[in-house]
This record gives sequence, structure tokens and C-alpha cells, in this order.
Amino acid sequence: MINRKALFGAIAGLAVVQGALSQNVIFPRWRQNYSTDSPNIAGGLAPDQMLVALAGFREMIAGILWVRADSFFDSGNYDAILPIIRLVTVLDPKQIDVYSTGMWHIAYNFTDEESRSDRRYVPTALALGSEGARQNKETYELFFETGWLWYHKIDDNYGKAVYWWEQAQKRPDILPARQNILAMAYQRNGQIQKGLEHYFSQYDKAAAIAKVQEDFGAFQQRDVNENNIDTMIVRMGQRGVLGPASKTSNMGVPYDIDPPFDVGFSAQLSVISPRVIRVRATWNVRPVGTRIRMILRDSDYPNAVPGGLNWDFSNNVQLDPPRDRTFMQDQLFVRNQRSERKIDMSRDPTMYPFTSKDYTVEFYYNPRSAPPHIQDKFGWSGEGMTDKNFLNTTIRPGQRVVYTTLKLTREQILRTGQWRDKVPVIQTKNFELTENFRNNDQAIKIPGLRGTTPNPGDQRTQSLRDP
Amino acid sequence: MAEFGWVWLKGTEGNQSDGRDSQAPSKSSNPQPYPAAPYRYTSPRIHTAPCTGTLLGGAPTLGAAIETRKLTKSYKRPGGVTNVVDGIDLHVEEGEIFGFLGPNGAGKTTTIKILLGIIYQTAGEAFVLDKEVGDTAIHHLISYLPEKPYYYEHMTGMEILKFYASLFGIKDEAKCQSLLEKVNLASDGHKTISQYSKGMQQRIGLAQSLLNDPKLLFLDEPTGGLDPIAHIEIRDLILQFREEGKTVFISSHELSDVERICDRVAIINKGKIEKQGRLEDLLAGGRYEITADVSEDFSSKIKEADTHVSWKNGRLIVDMPDSISPNAIVEGVLGAKGSILSVIPRRKRLEDLFVETVRNVQP
Amino acid sequence: MKTIFSIAATTVGEAIRRKVLLVILLIGLLFLVVAPALNILTARQERTVLVGLTLGVIQLTSALIAIMLTVYMVPNEIERRTIYTILSKPVQRWQFLVGKYLGAVAALGMMIGFMTIVLLITFALSQNERHLANLAPLIKAPVMNFFQMSLLSAVALMFSTFVSPLVNIFLSSGIYMLGTLFSPLFQTLVEAPSVNNVTKLFARIIHFVLPNFSNFNVQNPLINPGQVLVDERLYFITTIGYAFLYIGILLVTAVLIFDRREV
Repeated sequence: MINRKALFGAIAGLAVVQGALSQNVIFPRWRQNYSTDSPNIAGGLAPDQMLVALAGFREMIAGILWVRADSFFDSGNYDAILPIIRLVTVLDPKQIDVYSTGMWHIAYNFTDEESRSDRRYVPTALALGSEGARQNKETYELFFETGWLWYHKIDDNYGKAVYWWEQAQKRPDILPARQNILAMAYQRNGQIQKGLEHYFSQYDKAAAIAKVQEDFGAFQQRDVNENNIDTMIVRMGQRGVLGPASKTSNMGVPYDIDPPFDVGFSAQLSVISPRVIRVRATWNVRPVGTRIRMILRDSDYPNAVPGGLNWDFSNNVQLDPPRDRTFMQDQLFVRNQRSERKIDMSRDPTMYPFTSKDYTVEFYYNPRSAPPHIQDKFGWSGEGMTDKNFLNTTIRPGQRVVYTTLKLTREQILRTGQWRDKVPVIQTKNFELTENFRNNDQAIKIPGLRGTTPNPGDQRTQSLRDP
Repeated sequence: MAEFGWVWLKGTEGNQSDGRDSQAPSKSSNPQPYPAAPYRYTSPRIHTAPCTGTLLGGAPTLGAAIETRKLTKSYKRPGGVTNVVDGIDLHVEEGEIFGFLGPNGAGKTTTIKILLGIIYQTAGEAFVLDKEVGDTAIHHLISYLPEKPYYYEHMTGMEILKFYASLFGIKDEAKCQSLLEKVNLASDGHKTISQYSKGMQQRIGLAQSLLNDPKLLFLDEPTGGLDPIAHIEIRDLILQFREEGKTVFISSHELSDVERICDRVAIINKGKIEKQGRLEDLLAGGRYEITADVSEDFSSKIKEADTHVSWKNGRLIVDMPDSISPNAIVEGVLGAKGSILSVIPRRKRLEDLFVETVRNVQP
Repeated sequence: MKTIFSIAATTVGEAIRRKVLLVILLIGLLFLVVAPALNILTARQERTVLVGLTLGVIQLTSALIAIMLTVYMVPNEIERRTIYTILSKPVQRWQFLVGKYLGAVAALGMMIGFMTIVLLITFALSQNERHLANLAPLIKAPVMNFFQMSLLSAVALMFSTFVSPLVNIFLSSGIYMLGTLFSPLFQTLVEAPSVNNVTKLFARIIHFVLPNFSNFNVQNPLINPGQVLVDERLYFITTIGYAFLYIGILLVTAVLIFDRREV
């Protein structure tokens, strides 16, 4: 008969062997070759997870997956999270924070070595946001989050931000603190009067609440709105919104936006080594705070428009961005009337594959995105700004922006062919290499609300200080 | 005779009761299919401890097809321990047809399963063909037809036989064919079991149980649920087995069948053997009923013991044991110018015995 | 050996005729055929979705078949009393059990093989792939899947020697799910600094003891091609060896339990 004891012993021994084999030999290799969380896999979903999901316990799996995604956030393995976000939202479309975290993460966290985010993902984030809003119409959250992407991440087409935030405003559960920013969106969208009205209605609401509910929060909300209204009215006064017909203020001096100031833009781009470029630009504005948008993209990048993309061209969440396309967006910071920036794209070949033949470099400046102290001179729509060479009034109807493009070829950017040993330099016609860009007299002095450094030869500031 | 020496050795160790070995006739010296009473198994055999092996119990009686000693099977139930088989001593001789009778739930199938080694006894010993149960070697010599068996429905009769044959290591298509003929399925061998009637299934079951030319067959309710024709067919087949010298152990409650074909029977009830013996001995004690047309004063002349006299419609009815010859009374009636209307021997029926036995132990 | 093969052959014959299994297989095949039309997760490239979905369907279908097939195998024999006619023949219990198991594995192999053929046809037609060589790597997944299912079958068989089929379905599926899903979670769990040591130890023990079904999941590189695989051949050999080892453990355990089992 069977020797049971010996067999039980053998089983115990073999059980240890199998455990050791599995945990120490097979598992590490499996992880390396086949696991989904292995970094060399561009984030596929394990079919078994999909299966279990298909088998029915959707919410449960969604929850488990989301927890798992969380650990990837920790480890920075963003590629792995993307499909999880997609699956979780498919499985459980009511999980709002997956949508909001997911879209944020997709829009902001795919970055290159120099912390530039991958703009190719922005349409995905927007699509996810609008899908989330569709799925969760009852709450303001995803309308607000989607609006925020337009307002902050895209920072150009503010009409969309207004649209989403107006939608958010309609939801009863919107927090008071999230409501005020709609007025900012109105301003950046050129709807100055609506912005003021929004502040007023916010103020009325806050004041009514403060009357009933006498606590710090209520008072603060009311006071913030009061302050906002004050500031805005002053700005409107300075920028000529309140009395545009007369072209002058009631003190007989022109508005701050008059006459338009020539920013004197010029730019030069050189490819100093493969995929590494240096950009120089001139900008006549002395105070800090100017950011000129610069885009380097495939000339035929799908859905490209001057100064950006048609960001919400699709409502479908596309997990795979056009990986064979290049779209680099950065900002040139102006200091001492000039800007110089080295942009190294050589360390991120997946983000900047440079597979197309021709590239377009765009320079784009829109005062609507400018900080208030610069806007005070340029106005909301660029009335106070001009550029002898590159003023553009067509790419953004109703707005005066600075816009120009340069052309670059693949050979140039990769430094191949005839450019192997020659540094390609492309520049605007007016660019001249000089250390002293402009003399001080030509530089603008920002007037500011409470007065500023007196600008020699300019009576206005003086008169504002001593009425 | 290796077992003999071993038995003898065990015997000298004092574990065995006296006389057992001398009672065991060798197979050759005892050509009779079954010995006369008193049966050997009745000799007292005391086991001081419940045994599961040969360590304490010793070897079986030689020549017995089946032998059990104090065989017990108990199960733990919520209310405590239940003995499904409760210390039974069975003895089946080679070459006989043995009926194992009992009501439903008496422990018949459990006993058979123990004997086949499918389940294990809690206590006691069991030997089949001189080997302790559990030894699969004896499975070459025995076969089993379970109650209401099921055979793989997708297979044909022929395939079933081939499959079971392969379990014996037999690869003999001609044998399978001849068995099909034997059980009258020769023309249905190519049909799948799902197309078989109940009787056909039972017959293919019998055929598979004959594959290894068994010395001992266990048949569990072989005629249960069959129509009369199928019934007779199976019964005839079993009778044929006896002619072939096979031992057949039938568990059944189809008493008319058992009465007709069995040499010996045991009646089990609630796990205990209530009666065991030759059928003719167990059914001894029949009576005669004599009906006569005779004058009424004749009744005073009847002096036989255990005889009852009654009058019905002016006729004398005498009920007397068959141990006494009815001749005296018949002659008496004729002498008294009366006439004998009928002399009916009333044999005791197995049914009566069964009911009597089972009823007696009812609480 | 002959006995074992006879029992195995009969088991195969029965398995491929069981309606439940055929229905599951049919549904699986249906999914495979319509997979190219399913745009359920079109967020990713078509081929990616198709590979993932079809391999997944094969995995799920074969897991269901493996469980439904094995769980009822021995209890049915007992219920229908066929086991008595078999065990009353000169057949050892271990031979019966091993025969049954091999039969189940053979039946599984046939069904997985069939699904694989349908998978290849689906790909050849829907992706307009004329070179079989391009499809050949896909076969890796069903092959490993077969060993995975053999292991699952052994798990179910082991349980079937002492629990009822219904309980066994839950037990085996539970262990399968744990064994498939736990591995990906395991590493994160063990490496995460925020997890306490007791939990980590617990995770380690579970990972050590349970059959690690995810070892057999080699679908990812097929779904997301283009990565470098290290020592793939060695990995396959080791993992198949692991399957044999674990199956051996389960079968011996099953025999030890079944040997004492009252049927």
C-alpha cells in the first residue's frame, strides 16, 4: 500500500521547492518580460483583469485598479496608469475622482526631461473631461475641471473655459470659492462687462449669505468679491472700457492703452546639435512677466491652428497620442528686453520623434494671457500693443496678437545631410545680434494701479499721482 | 498452501480459537457445494478487539468465497455514531448462489462496498476469496454489478465492454462479442448506451461483470426495476452462472427471485444478520391442509400433535405440520366412509420468513 | 499505464460531449469570431485590442471549461456509480484519479487547440495577414494557457476529492483569480513603503504557497509588441517545469485524500 507518511513528506518538500522556484526564479523574470507594470511595456492591460472586468464585478475591479494606479502615481510610472484610467472610467463612469485625477494627470504629467508636458495628450485629457461631465451631469466637478484645462493648461481659447464654467455654475453643488474664477475667464475672453456682472452677482449672493450666516468664511467671500469689483472697475477705467468713445479719460489724458506700444519682436533659432535648439528673441517690454509662446511642430500636424491646436477636435478618448508626431510647446521668458533659451529635445525621442520632413516654428503672444500689470498697458485685447512687423489681427478675430512662423527641415533639426557640420540658423528678417537691444527710452514703463516708476517724458503717470 | 502454514503459525500464537483449522476442509476434500449444518461460521470466534487487519484476527476459512467476522461500519451522525453494518458474520461458500436480503437501508450495499474495498470497515474483518479486502489483486477474480448502474452514455455496448476489458488488461474483441451474444445483445453492440432500455443496460452490466471470468460475482439488485421479460432473462443468466461454477452474491429484496435461485440466504436488518442458512432449512416447517367430507364425529378421532381441526360449510378442515404424515388421517376419513376433497401442502414462503424476521426486530 | 490511458480516453470521450462545456466553448468561439467587430475599448490601436481581447477570451473560456470539467468529473462518477464498476476491477485509486486527470487535460488541450485555430483564422482574415509566420508568436499565449489550465484542473481535481462540486467551483475560481491577480499586486505591495511588515509577510506567504497562475500569462508582449524579452525559451521551460511540479504535488495530495475517501 501507499506509504502515506513518506508521500506527505515529499509533498511538503516539493511545496517548498515550487514556492522557491515560483517566487525567486520565475516571478522576477515574469515581471521583467510579461508583467504589465514592467516599465518597458507601454501600459497594456492584463487580459485577465479585463476578463474579470468583463465577467461582471465592474465597480469592484474599478476600485482595485484605481488603487493599483495609485501606486503607479507614486512610482511615476505614468504610462501604466493611462489604460487603467480608461478601464476604470469605462467600468465605473461614476467614479468622478478618476476622471478628474486622470485628466489632470494626462494633461500635466507626461513630461520630458526639461519638464515640458506632452501637448499631444491634451486632447485626450479634454475628451476624458467632457466624457466625465457627460457621465456625471449632476455635479459641477468635471465641468469645472474641464474648464480649468482650457483656462490654465491651454491658456488660449478662453471662450471654452467660459462655456465649461458657465455649465459648472449651473450645478447647484458648486462651491462658492470655485465660482469667482468665471469672472476671470470672462475677462480673458474679452467679455469685460460680463465679468463685472458676474462679480456683482457673486457679491450679492455672498452678502446675502453673510447677513444670515455671520462667520469668517461668509464675510471673507463677500469682501473678496467687493475687492474684485473695485479692482476691476479701476482697470476698466484705466484701460478705456468705461468711456471708449472719447478716447481720453475724464482727466483729459489718454487711457493707459494709448498709444499702442511697439514690442519690437524678433527671433532667431539655431540648431546647436541634433535635436537641441537655441532661441533668441527681442521684446521691448522691460518689466518681467512676458511669456512668448513658442511651438515647434510638424508642419502638417493634425488639427494644428496658428498658435496651437484645435484641442477638442474629438470627443473620443484616444489613449494613444499620435506617437509618430512632434509637437513641442514652450515659453520664452523675457528679461532685460531679451530672451534666450536652449531647448534640448535629444533626451526624449519618444516625445519628439521628428519623423516628418518639415517643421514649423511658431511665435505667438496674446495679451489676454498676460499678467494684469502688463495687461494694464496692452489692454484685454491688445489695443495698447503693436508690432511693426508681426502684429496679427486675423488669427484671433477681435484680438491684436503677435504671431510669426519660421520653417525648419528634418535635416536641419537632426543635423544630417548638408547640416552635419553646419549650424542651421533661421531668423526673422529684423533680427540683429546685439548685446544692447534697445535704449531705455524705447522701453515701456508699466503705469500700474498705484503709480510706478516715473517714465521720463510721460506726463500721464505724473498726473495720475497728483491729480 | 502458504496460507495454511501462516494460519497455523498464527494459531500457535494463541490468537485463534480452538478447532478452526481442523474445521477448514481443503477445497479438494470437500467437493460438496455447501456443507451440512452446523455451519462452520457458527463456531465461536471471539475477537477481543475491533480489527482492521490480519494482525489480530488471523486468516480466513479456506474455501470460503466470502467470510466476514464482526464486520462493522459506523458513521458519525449528528445524533452520535450509527452502525450501518453492525458486527456481521457472513459466510459464503464457493459455487453457491447466496442471497443477501434486507429491507432498504439495512446495510446491504454498504457490506458489498466493504467487500469490494470501495469503502473501509470500522471494525472487524472481511475476506474475499481467501484474501483480505482492499487487496486489488482479488479484483481480477471478482466482479460487481451495482444497483441501477450507469454506463458512459456516449459509448456503444461494444465500447463499454472493451473499456472495462482494458481495465483488466484484456484486449480480446472476440470475447467481448461472445459476451454480447451471451447477454443477448449481439445485434445491439453498435448502439450507444443512451439508446439502450433499462433491461439492456442491466444486461450490458452483466456482460461487463463477466469479462474477467470471475469466480465471484456481486450483484446488487440485479432485477430491480425491470419488466417481467427482462426479469426472467437476468434470472436465467444467473442460474447459468451456477452451472459454470461461479459463486454469486446477490443483494436483493426481490424475494421471489431469491427463493427461486438462491442456495443460501442471509437476512440483514438494521445492520445485523438476523437469519442465515440454507434456504430449505430456513423454510422448513410447512403444513398440510386436508379438506374432507365426513361425519362430524370424526374430529374426535384426530389425536396428532399440533393439529387443528375446524368445520367450514359442513366440511372438515385439518391443519397439521408436514412433519407428520397425512396418511393416517386420509385413511381414517376413507375408513369412515368420508371422501377426501383436497390435501394441500402449504410450504413456508421466503416472504413469510422475511416479513417475520424483519417484523420481529421492529421496536 | 494501459488502465490509466483507458480511463483517460473514456474521460475525453465524455468531456467533449458534455453540453455545458460545449456551450461554453461555443460562446468562446463566438467571441473570437466577432472580436474584430467589437469596438468596446477602441481607445487603443485595433490590433492591440484584438490581441488582448481574443487571448483573453481564450483564457476565460478555457478557465471556465477547466473548472466545469474537472469539478464534476469525480463526483459524477460517484453519483452515477460508474466508479464502483471501475474500482471493483483491478484498478488502483491513484490510477483512476490520474487517468481522469489526464483525460481532462487532453480534452482541455483539444478545446484550447480548437480555439487557437479559430483565433489564427480570425487574425488572418481580419488583419489581412497572409504570412503565417507573423501570426506564429500568438500561439505562445494559448500554449502557456494550456499549462495554466492543466494546473487549474489539478487544483479543481484535488478539491473534488473532498468538497462538493458547488463549493469547489467557488474554491477553484477563487484560487484561480487570486493566482492570476495577486502577482501584479504582489510586488507593489511588498515594495510599497507604506505597507506594514505583517501585511508584507502575509503577501509573501500567499504568493509563495498559492499556484502562481500569472506565471503563465505571457500575453503582454503580444499585445504591446516591441519590447525585448530576456531568455524567453528558458522562461518557458522553467515555467512549464513549475507547472509539472505543482501538478505533481496536487495529484499526490489528491490521491492521498481520495485513497481514504468513502465513495
